[in-house]
Amino acid sequence: MTGARRKKKLDPFRSLTVFSTSVILIFILLPLVEMVLQPSLDSLQETIQDKDVLRAIWLSVYASGLAALISFIFGTPFAFLLARKTFFGKRFVESVVDLPVMIPHPVVGIAILSLAGREHWLGKVMQAVGVRVMGSVTGIVAVLLFVGLPFYINAAKAGFEAIPERLEKVSRSLGASMTGTFLRITFPLAWRSMLAGMIMCTARAISEFGAIVIVAYHPMTAPVMIYERFTAYGMKYSQPVAVWLIFVSLLLFLFLRLVSLPKRARHDSR
Amino acid sequence: MKKVRTWKKITLALGFVAAALMLSLSAHAASHGKVIVFHAGSLTVPFAKMEKIFESKYPGTDILREAGGSTKMARMISELNKPADIMASADYAVIDKSLIPAKAQWNVRFATNQLVLCYTDRSRFAGEINAQNWYDILGREGVVWGHSDPNLDPCGYRSLMVLQLAEKHYDKPGLYDRLIANRPKENIRPKSVELVSLLKTGNMDYAWEYLSVAVQHDLKYVVLPDEINLGNYRQDDFYKEAKVKVTGKKPGTWITRTGGSVTYGITMVKEAPNPDGALAFLEYVLSPDGGLKILKEMGQPPFVPCRVPTQEMKSMLPASLQKLVEVKN
Repeated sequence: MTGARRKKKLDPFRSLTVFSTSVILIFILLPLVEMVLQPSLDSLQETIQDKDVLRAIWLSVYASGLAALISFIFGTPFAFLLARKTFFGKRFVESVVDLPVMIPHPVVGIAILSLAGREHWLGKVMQAVGVRVMGSVTGIVAVLLFVGLPFYINAAKAGFEAIPERLEKVSRSLGASMTGTFLRITFPLAWRSMLAGMIMCTARAISEFGAIVIVAYHPMTAPVMIYERFTAYGMKYSQPVAVWLIFVSLLLFLFLRLVSLPKRARHDSR
Repeated sequence: MKKVRTWKKITLALGFVAAALMLSLSAHAASHGKVIVFHAGSLTVPFAKMEKIFESKYPGTDILREAGGSTKMARMISELNKPADIMASADYAVIDKSLIPAKAQWNVRFATNQLVLCYTDRSRFAGEINAQNWYDILGREGVVWGHSDPNLDPCGYRSLMVLQLAEKHYDKPGLYDRLIANRPKENIRPKSVELVSLLKTGNMDYAWEYLSVAVQHDLKYVVLPDEINLGNYRQDDFYKEAKVKVTGKKPGTWITRTGGSVTYGITMVKEAPNPDGALAFLEYVLSPDGGLKILKEMGQPPFVPCRVPTQEMKSMLPASLQKLVEVKN
């Protein structure tokens, strides 16, 4: 007890903060709550027992995870380069990385489909080798990789930038190779940002619809199935699928975020 | 000084908000005269031309078209209650079964079509294919061929009917099953016109399409005998032998579609948002030198004049449409 009574003054900044927080939370939660509460428990049970639905949700999670993994493998060296080096045209390259975010989704699908067809030299080569893009998981992962890469690269880059280059230089001066430095100094310090980037990439990929539906209608991912059921049967049959997809995604992301909590926060959460 | 700056910012912000409100309100004022037309994917090119000509004749009207598999579009009206003024279907039976009587009263048959097998220069065996060997080529390994989703698009179930009729006509038992075995699910698309872009990019070798669509999109095509191409009403008795099961209103329920010559139907939806605008557009579409002429020029033979099956249905039509139709079953 401090003893002194604070004057009760309505702080406008604080009110604005509280107001905007509530408005945003309501804006996000209202449609979601409405959608989650709409289906009956019976229809939810019936839906999760439908093999097609299970296959679609699994395909969404699997393809998105694969896209995130590929982003991690190819995006990490690129993100490291962007974080550490300055070179002519760097701003341009950074803008290129951001491009996929603003391209309309059907355009992404059309572009990838055109590249993969026998009308294009690349498509001719791929089809001769036996790589199928249209209507295949390969095509879906290609699309998801395209839309998800910027999220991973930007998050990883920010993570690397937050690590003082000094530490790496010290390690090098003590005789470690670049690879050794990266694995023993940079990576342990940056892995949380990289994981957060992979989570964002996966999240972006799971929700993708417009690009996938152009490249592959079958095999069906969950968003495509939700749309197909909506247009063929109506909301009553599409919403349960949406609810299950949200539920599975929530579990996945919650788990990943818990895993990435800093040790201190996990222990003293008072 | 600081106070004046804050006030300047506030007035500027309010100015933006006011401008935005005014713009949206003026957009509202101009929205009088919208006509919403749901139609089959295969009518896209002719209807786009009709839209342009009609809007130039009546500058206050805005025709808003939405295309898709006719079954799907009809369900959007009947099950999802999406607002629409007009529905034009590639299969008049879809209007009869899904829209009449709850969402429509009458159904005018206005055009025909036939199914052809489309391909491009890039298609495998393009140099070889003809009306005698097409069913052999479709069965060959590595040939990528497809059709639209029978559950959402009449062209889809009609493609399957052509295959069934081919089995009977060429006397090749098991042909249908053999061909379907060479057509994985990945080669099915919800709307038949999507197959066109797959053909053109070289992702698909052969696709089942309407003759009008092949003509409108400059595709090569194989013309099939009248007995199996669903284009000649005189062959209706043979067409009837083809039956395809498609999904019904709920997952797990089924409807059987029976083969018949391709006949397109059009109707005005009950409680249409803009009945006057809809009627004006229908008068244009169904007139011999208006919409019907455009259909003919684009490779889709129209009924001139359009038809209704019974005198009773003719009397249900608005007066201005009655003189454009004849009673013929």
